[in-house]
Amino acid sequence: MMAERQNMAALSYDVGPFWDEMFEGDRAPRPHYATLASKLASLSEAEVARRQAAADRSFMGRGITFAVADDPSGIEKILPFDLIPRLILPDEWRTIERGLAQRVRALNLFLHDVYHDQHILADGTLDPELVLGSRGYQREFQGVDPPLGIYTHVVGSDLVRDAGGDFYVLEDNLRTPSGVSYLIENRRVLKRTWPQLFDGYDVRPVEGYPQALLEVLQAVAPPMADDPVVVLLTPGIYNSAFFEHAFLARSMGIEMVQGSDLFVDDGTVFMHTTHGRERVDVIYRRIDDEYLDPLTFRSDSILGVAGLMAAYRLGRVALANGVGTGVADDKATYSYVPTIIRYYLDEDPILPNVPTYLPTNPDDLAYVLDHIGELVVKAVNASGGYGMLIGPHSTRAQLDDFRGRIRARPRDFIAQPTLALSRHPCWVTDHLEGRHVDLRPFVLFGSDVHVTPGGLTRVAIRSGSLVVNSSQGGGSKDTWVLAEGHRATADA
Amino acid sequence: MLCRSADEIFWMSRYVERAIAVGRLIEVTWHLELDAGDLVDSGARFWMPLLGLEGDGGHAHTEGQSTPGDVRRHLSLDRGNPSSLVSCIGQARASAQRVRESISTEMWEQINELYLSLAHSELGAEMERDPYLFFRRVREGAQFFQGLADGTMAHDEAWDFICLGTYLERADNVARLLDLQTHLLTAESDDGNDPSVRWLAVLRSCGAAEPYARYYSLRIDPARVIEFLLLNPVFPQSLRFSLVAARNALAGIEAGRHIRGERSAERLMGRVCGRLENAAVDEVLDEGLHTFLLDTRARIGQVADQVTRTYLRDEPDSGKLVGVARATMIMAAQQQQQTGRAGAYPPPPANHGAVAGRPAR
Repeated sequence: MMAERQNMAALSYDVGPFWDEMFEGDRAPRPHYATLASKLASLSEAEVARRQAAADRSFMGRGITFAVADDPSGIEKILPFDLIPRLILPDEWRTIERGLAQRVRALNLFLHDVYHDQHILADGTLDPELVLGSRGYQREFQGVDPPLGIYTHVVGSDLVRDAGGDFYVLEDNLRTPSGVSYLIENRRVLKRTWPQLFDGYDVRPVEGYPQALLEVLQAVAPPMADDPVVVLLTPGIYNSAFFEHAFLARSMGIEMVQGSDLFVDDGTVFMHTTHGRERVDVIYRRIDDEYLDPLTFRSDSILGVAGLMAAYRLGRVALANGVGTGVADDKATYSYVPTIIRYYLDEDPILPNVPTYLPTNPDDLAYVLDHIGELVVKAVNASGGYGMLIGPHSTRAQLDDFRGRIRARPRDFIAQPTLALSRHPCWVTDHLEGRHVDLRPFVLFGSDVHVTPGGLTRVAIRSGSLVVNSSQGGGSKDTWVLAEGHRATADA
Repeated sequence: MLCRSADEIFWMSRYVERAIAVGRLIEVTWHLELDAGDLVDSGARFWMPLLGLEGDGGHAHTEGQSTPGDVRRHLSLDRGNPSSLVSCIGQARASAQRVRESISTEMWEQINELYLSLAHSELGAEMERDPYLFFRRVREGAQFFQGLADGTMAHDEAWDFICLGTYLERADNVARLLDLQTHLLTAESDDGNDPSVRWLAVLRSCGAAEPYARYYSLRIDPARVIEFLLLNPVFPQSLRFSLVAARNALAGIEAGRHIRGERSAERLMGRVCGRLENAAVDEVLDEGLHTFLLDTRARIGQVADQVTRTYLRDEPDSGKLVGVARATMIMAAQQQQQTGRAGAYPPPPANHGAVAGRPAR
């Protein structure tokens, strides 16, 4: 057999009970994927494998890696990257864009209200205990006014598609969402290793993100700073997102600082430079609230800066994201986001939430305990796929264990139906297989709301797995938002 | 720029330069061993002295029944030896990673790929099988990095710190190497071997054999070799050239400062440069080459310490007694003592064989 053509059976599969991003029920590619499918078919297996190896080498050489503890060779690991891009149609993207912008505006109004007059609690729309009992609520910042009233400058919300093909918001990340560097680097690496793939597609570029982020950061500078100094605060090299911190600082042309580089004098933040002290006006911080200032939060934190919170309260320095935003992405608060949107914007939510059961509500608790085998249970204060139970994939002992924990601490958990996450083909050795995916777009909020046309498509690399988190062995793909006017036909 | 970034960049470039020096020294020693034939105890004669370049830590590690192969591996591949070739590249890469936002992507990818190419498990076999190719590949990888720094970074303050680190390190390496080799040559001068092979190797280990030949013809005269490596004003591996280049880098850094401090580092730098610029080789040999090199290395160390305090740690001189205030105090003390013996020149550091370690932050 000639090496130039693929075995066609390897290039499709039975989509099963799931929504497949590329294939329809009859194993034929959806129209906007047809060009991609024919390009794949024209290459030999060895050729695809060669390009996959080139992409992996490219990630390694560029140091887009995370350190692995206890590996004496000193070699880091790359996040698994799958070559086959995920395509999003213009009208699908319009809905996502509008839906996320609506959500971010409403959540900011909510945060402002919670940290000021608390109308939404006073009139009984939300339970004060649920909101003020959240671990993300920072009482010390009651009444503090962040510049332009913006709390969440950078948001990464996780979207999923169910079996019917509809997008749902699974969670909002309003504190220090990560992954945007992969969104940009995946595109760069794919362009390097398989440029021919882009022929015949009009893909919206994602390179503008760092510039847009810098504009947001400059926009929120304290008013007295006419040429604001913006820095990125990283916890350092051992943080798994360190690559991203360096990437963003380099792309924006700003300093990447650690806590030890900064100090506060008379309510002003400075950094130690080779020319002596230099004032800092805006900090894009990539460390959590609790580590920001040992005088306010954890006194054992060596990552933060003593006195930083005092300077922030005085309005001498802006922080992005603001302090205390965790109250709005708490998994329990999440279930009320549709209410929050209606309350502040008087609009219907454009993107639906995944139905969520709160065990603090007695009816919900009874339902969760009865149906735990069908549900996904999540700890409200955990992220990264930790502290999670997937009912259908769990043993009886695990289910009983979670039942006990939910009864003991109902406020610490939520439950959701197990979603049939959509699947996307991935290249596995010599053929395509469906893998579950989600989508994390990034939203910037400065003088306006801006959604970068793209997203991080995370892939559950293990066959059948529903967990896409990178800390749990997930991988990622390049994600193409097709430009307006892109014709959804085979030879577009 | 940030003190921490300047610190990382300074040490990144020192370690890259150190890797080049270490690699070249091993390569040249290997050649010497081959030239000497099977009759001599090459381990004792050629390889063991190299351990003296590292200070006591290296000695303790390989004392006893060390073969030439053990010493080679210790100097090249031993990750436990902080001045081995792979450790130098590893430390340069770790620094580069911590300041990725301050260096060009080309530089980062080059040092990262060089580091990854040294992380495979067959490295020892690669080196023993084809030492020439191995050391050449690593040296050229490091020199490529230096070239990329020149060609892809703005020649601003960060670049000045790269130059300062590179040339201070090179000056120290040349002085150290020359000190060791002249010591060995003096010790074995009456064993009947032709010392010119060894002097040629000294030149080679500084990449200086061909430029020397262009200046003096390839007639090996020890005094001329010493003159060339110490005092030549235009050869980039000479001590004088390196120190002048380091001084220019320091002047560039100081010129950008808004605050005018005591300029202690510049003054120390100027003194050691002036010494080299105004020296003659006969006077140096008359004073004693070992003493001259020891003193020069101590002064290079003082410059590096002062650079660390002023630029890399943001420890301003204010709060300490400096300048006129200190002079007044010294005069008062001398008047009281009557003996007039205050302010003796400090003795050179005891571990003069060791390479400069990186101070903790």
